[in-house]
Amino acid sequence: MVELAGLNAGTGQRRRARLKESAVSLGMIGPAVLLYTVMTVVPVGVAVYLSLTDWDGFSTAVFIGLDNYKHLFDDPSSSDAWYVTALIAVAGTVLMVGLGLVYALALKGRSRTNSFFRAVAYFPHVISALILGYLWAAILGTNGAINNTLAKFGIEPLGFLFDEQFALISLIAVIVWAGFGFNVVLFVAALQTVPAELLEAAAIDGASRRQINLRIVIPMIAPVVTVATVLNLVGLIRAYDIVVSLTGGGPAGSTQTFTYLILARSFEGTKVGYATAQAVFLMVVSAALALLVTALRNRQDQAATGQ
Amino acid sequence: MVVLEAEVRDEPKALPAEADETGRAKHEEARSPVRWVLLGVLLVVMIVPIYLLVVNAFKSQQDILDNPFSIPLGGLTFEHMSAAIHSPQFNVIGGYGFTLFLVVLVDVLCILLAGPAAYAIARSLKRRTQLVLLYFLAGTFIPGAAVIIPVIYVLREIGLANTVTGLVAHDVASTLPVSIFLFVGFIRTIPVDIDHAATIDGAGRFRTFWSIIFPLMRPAVVTVLILNSIGIWNDFVSPQILLSPSSGHYTVTTAIYAGISQYSTDLTKVFPNLLLAIAPVVIFFIYMQRHIISGLTVGAVKG
Repeated sequence: MVELAGLNAGTGQRRRARLKESAVSLGMIGPAVLLYTVMTVVPVGVAVYLSLTDWDGFSTAVFIGLDNYKHLFDDPSSSDAWYVTALIAVAGTVLMVGLGLVYALALKGRSRTNSFFRAVAYFPHVISALILGYLWAAILGTNGAINNTLAKFGIEPLGFLFDEQFALISLIAVIVWAGFGFNVVLFVAALQTVPAELLEAAAIDGASRRQINLRIVIPMIAPVVTVATVLNLVGLIRAYDIVVSLTGGGPAGSTQTFTYLILARSFEGTKVGYATAQAVFLMVVSAALALLVTALRNRQDQAATGQ
Repeated sequence: MVVLEAEVRDEPKALPAEADETGRAKHEEARSPVRWVLLGVLLVVMIVPIYLLVVNAFKSQQDILDNPFSIPLGGLTFEHMSAAIHSPQFNVIGGYGFTLFLVVLVDVLCILLAGPAAYAIARSLKRRTQLVLLYFLAGTFIPGAAVIIPVIYVLREIGLANTVTGLVAHDVASTLPVSIFLFVGFIRTIPVDIDHAATIDGAGRFRTFWSIIFPLMRPAVVTVLILNSIGIWNDFVSPQILLSPSSGHYTVTTAIYAGISQYSTDLTKVFPNLLLAIAPVVIFFIYMQRHIISGLTVGAVKG
């Protein structure tokens, strides 16, 4: 009887201790969860709600169901923006990952020279994209450094930024210039974990440098290449700052990305509901992309280990 | 791009003979002309824009237009740089102060919130707590710029629209997912025995975290600080949209935006201001290169 009472007291104490433990955990996690919820999650909820209305930014929002989503691709400027965004994301990713691999293979050694060149490739990554865009606009523009130099030799100015197709190519080139160094560093870190004995063994077996790189080194760092692909794709699909400063979406809207269009529409102050529908769609696409590429990668890994 | 790849593929042809001797192979690699062509192209393409930026910041409009690439030894002038430094409008130097204030405030608040939260998540075995981590991770999928309008909507509801407090709250929230994720990963590598020892000595959980665990998290804290500082310093969309020009607060990026969209043809304003905007980051980068590169890489990959 006495023993039982003692046991009961024990569980009571333990329960109280557990309760106190939970309260402390809540005190530690709570503030972060609260702020994150209010500032990040609630806005996403608001975006979903607004996307179902015809809100113009001022008057009362009227619920119109999925109407905005039905017209997501009807209007020509948004399908153009999708084309531009997709092209930037795909071409940019391919070029950045490709150049990243080439330079990572050239700079993987642990020497001072290599680390200097890696820093040279990397540095634009720490500078604001907005500022880099303005710098390149001053170089590629009509009155920019390149065209003024060409003019001295009597060569007609090139439409880096004022020819519609050329402007898109220039935009992608500047994005690649600013971002491939990040991939170089990522891949070098991965390459340095490839065991040297493996490469020596392959060399002894008579494999050429090219065979070693293509058959052994690149497959071994494939998981990192996947991570880089996802990061580049998801980052580029949101391109905004550099568009603002390099081309301002022009000429004639030919370099408007999706995010650019969303913000431009929102500030015209007439179609906020429609713009948020596009934002929600963009969010779904970028999440789907990240999940898809990761899933593909996992399947590949499983296939590889299954062999 | 295609050309470069082809060049790399050409490289091995000369090599297999030496390949069995690693030392000699390495020497061969260092001397390989293809490698030096690649590196030469890299150096020129990466450095020329910065060279143009620096040189033209000290030239007259006429010199910039006529000879953008040259250094006119007699014609260099500090006049336009000085004008940019003392400009009453969209002053980039003034922007340093406000941006630095933002960076420090966001960094401190982020650590204060993310640290204990990550500690509680890392040390809990409950499923519920792990779901909290997933909840934070979902935030990395949200394209910040695209949903900035709904953020204004929320800030308006809670009376923080167009205030520095509102901007800071938004910025801190945006740093939480990756920071918490990195902290959780790091804390899990610290033995729990240390916590138990602290508990036996009578320390509460907050005390255990701040005086025992937090000092051990230095590498993770450095990573998070670098990641967040560079992110906030370079951020354009949030300060531009959450703080209207009427607020009178300019960050470096919003000052540049306001100034250059107005004077884009006056190159004696463009180059000096851009140089002022870039200089602190580049100096910081040169000084802390190793930390920054590893910090940003870890942050991006794990986040």
